[in-house]
Amino acid sequence: MYPISLEGVMNLDTAVEEFEVLSFKLGDQDMAFDVENVEMVIETPQITRVPKSKNVIEGVINLRGRIVAVANLSKILDLDVGLERLKSVIIMNVNDIEIGFLVEEVNGVMRVTEDEYDRNVVSEKFGKKSKGLIKKDENDLVVYLDVNEIVSEIVSAGT
Amino acid sequence: MMKEEYLSVFIDESRETLQNLNDNLLKLENNPEDMEIVNEVFRLLHTLKGMAGTMGFGNMMKLCHRMENVLDEVRSGNIRLTEDLMDKLFTGVDIVERMVNNIVESGNDVLEDIDVDSIIRSFDEVQSGESKIIAENVEEERKERESKEEEGIPIEVEEPVRNVVEKALGEGFNSYYIRVSLKEGTQLKSARMYLVFHKIEEMGGEVVKTVPPVEDIEEEKFDLDVDMIVIIKKSKEDLVQAITSISDIDKVIIKDFMPKMPSIEEKPKEVKEEAKAEEKTAEEKKARKKLTQTVRVDIDKLDTLMNLMGELVIARSRIVDTLKKYNIKEVDESLAQLSRITLDLQNIVMKVRMVPIAFVFNRFPRMVRDLSKKMGKEVNFIIKGEETELDRTFVEEIGEPILHLLRNAIDHGIESKEERIAKGKPPVGTIVLSARHEGNNVVIEVEDDGRGMDRDKILKRAIEMGLVDELKASTLPDEKVFEFLFVPGFSTKEDVSEVSGRGVGMDVVKNVVESLNGSVSIESQKDVGTKVTIRLPLTLAIIQALLVKVNNYVYAIPIANIDSTLMISKDDIQTVQDKEVIVIRGEVIPIYRLWEVLEIPHETEEETMNTVIIRIGNRKYGLVVDKLLGQEDIVIKSLGKMFSDVKEFSGAAILGDGSIALILDVSNIA
Repeated sequence: MYPISLEGVMNLDTAVEEFEVLSFKLGDQDMAFDVENVEMVIETPQITRVPKSKNVIEGVINLRGRIVAVANLSKILDLDVGLERLKSVIIMNVNDIEIGFLVEEVNGVMRVTEDEYDRNVVSEKFGKKSKGLIKKDENDLVVYLDVNEIVSEIVSAGT
Repeated sequence: MMKEEYLSVFIDESRETLQNLNDNLLKLENNPEDMEIVNEVFRLLHTLKGMAGTMGFGNMMKLCHRMENVLDEVRSGNIRLTEDLMDKLFTGVDIVERMVNNIVESGNDVLEDIDVDSIIRSFDEVQSGESKIIAENVEEERKERESKEEEGIPIEVEEPVRNVVEKALGEGFNSYYIRVSLKEGTQLKSARMYLVFHKIEEMGGEVVKTVPPVEDIEEEKFDLDVDMIVIIKKSKEDLVQAITSISDIDKVIIKDFMPKMPSIEEKPKEVKEEAKAEEKTAEEKKARKKLTQTVRVDIDKLDTLMNLMGELVIARSRIVDTLKKYNIKEVDESLAQLSRITLDLQNIVMKVRMVPIAFVFNRFPRMVRDLSKKMGKEVNFIIKGEETELDRTFVEEIGEPILHLLRNAIDHGIESKEERIAKGKPPVGTIVLSARHEGNNVVIEVEDDGRGMDRDKILKRAIEMGLVDELKASTLPDEKVFEFLFVPGFSTKEDVSEVSGRGVGMDVVKNVVESLNGSVSIESQKDVGTKVTIRLPLTLAIIQALLVKVNNYVYAIPIANIDSTLMISKDDIQTVQDKEVIVIRGEVIPIYRLWEVLEIPHETEEETMNTVIIRIGNRKYGLVVDKLLGQEDIVIKSLGKMFSDVKEFSGAAILGDGSIALILDVSNIA
């Protein structure tokens, strides 16, 4: 278990807590995962469907000889984004489970200070899957996703 | 630093020795008179003591030393092996085992809850108490034995040796039985013995037989005494003087040795049997020797090797695929050679990973003994097929499920003695644990002749738990009823015993076995017994598979499960009781379309269809696919946790072109 902790990325010089996230686009919305779970980002390869598997799982891919499950994040978050628009896969490692998430476009790694992170915003739509909002400025809001929660919801979900 | 380096070797070897000890103690319990086993136990304890001493684990050394002494007394006939003493020895070995575990965990052999000295003292009681009581008896027995044996010579002489001695006697040699005893604490014991042999040879004599055998002496596998038969022209006195002149010799006993001819009254049949027995022990010894010629390999290295092997197989398929397009004659031969070498290599690597299931089974006799004793039940525990080999990965995983099944068999299965007698069954229950290869599977069975499963009780509980409709319950076939036992939290035993019946168990068994791509089933008949069968694939790594196509997707079917393939036309399909079947050579075989089974959309059907006939045990069914692509070696990869709910696939394989084929779990799709 790697509980997500902010202490690890605390900036000791300024004593302002900072952390890094990987930001991406999905359904006209900027979202972000903790960077420490991210293994790599790849262009969406050919996905082999696994019949009778969970609805949110699109199938498996061959990642350098490894079989990795690919989940459709837009289905998980109940957004309506067509599969053809999902051009990238973010490969994550969550508690030793390797899983890829289909997203539209990856923006890049973003450094976030504690001031910019509002953990009290509870999203009605995303529930526990989001752990708050990152506000770079008034017009630049990023939904900060809880990948641990998302993965455990997938594992426990039915088909 | 040095110690650190040797610690892991020490731990491995201690565990191995302890396992051996347990095995031999069990054997001894059944044959308390067998001095061969007493000797073996003695030797093992001695080894353990030595190892503990070298590593500086004083408590462990003390305890082993004490037990060794007790065994020595047993060996010399001063103490008899009572049940009480056996229990004490078992306890002692358990404590040593805990010490070793403690060494692993905290680096020392101090057990907080156990006073080693009091354990050691408990052996003193046995020794002094027992010896007083039976001292007289033993003395008498010994006298009797001595007069019976060849003038008190505790050495058995085989035919060839006897011939040599007789011949030598005819040529004016003397033959003596000599026991040479070294001083306690002698260093380089084998070197001392070598000097003794050398001396005898110098004097023109010859050592024709030794107990223990020469190889054991060379490897210092003896305590202090060595018995031997010597032919020599010199007198007894000269010989004794010569031998005692060697330093560190404590005592030399010498007697005349006259080989006794086997008497004529002896039935030749017996002799034959004896010879056979000897042959057998010789074979056993050979086998034991062979076992010791091994190299310890880091498990990680073995796994890496296996992974590389997998990559190699994929790379080879890719090369073969590519070159097929160009059809170059020159590379054909080298390609064939590459394929052959890869296959050989693959087989070897696979074999390296295979270990006899004895590694798992070994610990059970002891456990069954303790458990049945605790539960007050008499159980005859039989192990069959322990030489059956299976993938190393299984060895670590499968122990726990089997343990559960054995516990269940003892606790729930086997009835009390009284109950059994009342039922007209043999008073002692039997549990058989067996392993065997069946096709590409390893089949492990735990069978007991106990009370069997109570169908009504299971159904009652299933209805309570809402697993089945009350109305439907009575019509369920037995195997469906027994399947409820695998539901988590299902337990029918009213009183929870220490051993089992906590409602965990069968579901754990099922989970573990299924995670290994295996299956479990239960057969049971009331008052006759229960048989639980675990089926595991031979290896998790590489299998031969038939690749088939539905739409644009490729699926792999393990060759081991394929009976045959054939083309059928629509007209061949008949409908029997709403089920589609085909008839092949009088056999009615149900057929399923793979796309329907997997619930994938599919275009219109052709007039003729490729059908793969699947065979699982006695069951057969046909699977209709679009296309047969051919046979290939595939490396099985797990689909991972995200697909733990998908029963239709046992894994996935990466094909030569980098695409993925899902491997069908044919026992779960129809």
